[in-house]
Amino acid sequence: MRSPILVTSHYVRTAAMATTSVVGDSPLFLVDYLLRFARVAVLLSLWRIILADKGPVSGMTLSAVLTYTLISEIFAEQLACRANMEMTLWEGTIAVRSLQPMSLVGQLAAEMAGRWLLGLILVSAPLLLSAGLWGVDARPATAAAGALFVLSMALSISVGLALEMLFGALVVALQESIWLVQQLRNAITTVLSGALLPLALLPWGLGGVFAWLPFASQASAPLRIYTNTGDAAQLLAIQAGWSLLLWPMAHWFWQANREKLTAYGG
Amino acid sequence: MQLWQVHGAMDVRWMLRDIRTLLTFVIADSLSSIASASAIFLLAERFGAIGRWRADQIVFMLAYAMVVSGLPYLFFNYNVSYISRRVGRGQWDHTLIQPNPIWMSLLTEGFSPFSAIMAVLPGLALLAWAIPRAAPPLTLGWLALLLLNLSASVIIALAFSFLWGSLAFWAPRAAEELNLSTWKLLDQLKQFPLDGLGALLTGGLLTIVPSGFLAWYPCRTLLNIDTRPAGPMVTPLAAGVTALLATWVFRRGMKQYGRTGSQRYLSFGHRR
Repeated sequence: MRSPILVTSHYVRTAAMATTSVVGDSPLFLVDYLLRFARVAVLLSLWRIILADKGPVSGMTLSAVLTYTLISEIFAEQLACRANMEMTLWEGTIAVRSLQPMSLVGQLAAEMAGRWLLGLILVSAPLLLSAGLWGVDARPATAAAGALFVLSMALSISVGLALEMLFGALVVALQESIWLVQQLRNAITTVLSGALLPLALLPWGLGGVFAWLPFASQASAPLRIYTNTGDAAQLLAIQAGWSLLLWPMAHWFWQANREKLTAYGG
Repeated sequence: MQLWQVHGAMDVRWMLRDIRTLLTFVIADSLSSIASASAIFLLAERFGAIGRWRADQIVFMLAYAMVVSGLPYLFFNYNVSYISRRVGRGQWDHTLIQPNPIWMSLLTEGFSPFSAIMAVLPGLALLAWAIPRAAPPLTLGWLALLLLNLSASVIIALAFSFLWGSLAFWAPRAAEELNLSTWKLLDQLKQFPLDGLGALLTGGLLTIVPSGFLAWYPCRTLLNIDTRPAGPMVTPLAAGVTALLATWVFRRGMKQYGRTGSQRYLSFGHRR
């Protein structure tokens, strides 16, 4: 049986390679990070216009919404949780990955964590440290909210990874272009996850319905816990429930469809 | 026109080869187009207004943005609007050896009137709904200004793409996917009303990253939110300036390409 330290070092090295590959690929990767700064500036300004002179709306004050928006951008990559499963299928590297002495999910998760490191250094940390300049209080609503946020983020990543595997298996099952599945997924999660807009601020009671979906467990749940604008116990229970439900589904779906996969090198 | 006919016919044949794929593309394009505008639309519905913009004016702006996003897919598909990919992958020679001027090739090779129609149709439908509600009294002059500004916004988006995509002439490997990032920059910021942002940021979003010209600024002038008389001509003017700049940079890139060629092209389909 392999030593846990050896196994862990495999994943750490995989993550490190993923970090350096982003920088080594092209110096123009910074363009993507610039977008995040511009987006948060626009969103904060928008909320100040919309919620000016309004009291709490659906339990959310302007201050809470601004904090929600900033934290959403600081942890944007973690809340989106994209392991690039579709790219692995498109490039054909799934064939090579299947030969490595590491689980597929482990490899993808390690690479994802490696890519996150750069974003955390270049975007998340500067945003967090400059929160005062943006006029936003970036602290959690309470110390308990901050602690539960960590647990909620772990569950969020679990749900996100399970969805990633499900959508990857869907590409194989449908035998369709990965771009179509990606487009569909982006279209669905834009509004349903609550990363861009707090679900509580959606019209027609949509937020109440969307809050039960797995996409809300990815973004809305941890952000609501952080800002203390939701019942933490209920949100954590929903996240745990989806995590327990989605992983067996993802495993079964992947097992059922992986025989359809054909890779031409990579 | 003949080339458009040819490319249109090829587009139809490709689509009709597999109805299931066709339906998947249609649904994905429609959902994508609608989802991109849904966030701001839902906000406008919830709050009735965003700053000086009424809900119906917001819908007009979003519809405008959807049409501006969709038209490059309709006329400049197959990586014409993602020129950095063509140049970076060494596929630019495919265009150079065509017995047409380059401008004609770029104008026709990407024509996908059927497969990309769902990227435009939702926006057009929404625009048709919003015009009677949000626009000033409908006149031929106003419609002409709308068409002029729509064209100008599309030209600005394409010029921005070509401006940055030209970097691929100098750094084919590094800049191959640069247009993916530039289009993301434009697409993600174009749907927001930019009032109240502050002069520096607004100026940046009208110059360095001109997403403000893709919907917000032209709609302000068309809907008389900005009542300055020359307002509707600012976007076309910006389009002219951006197009000239992009053309100059692209020509410089072509000269560089004439000296170095491309080392990335592989005849069996992929690239180095």
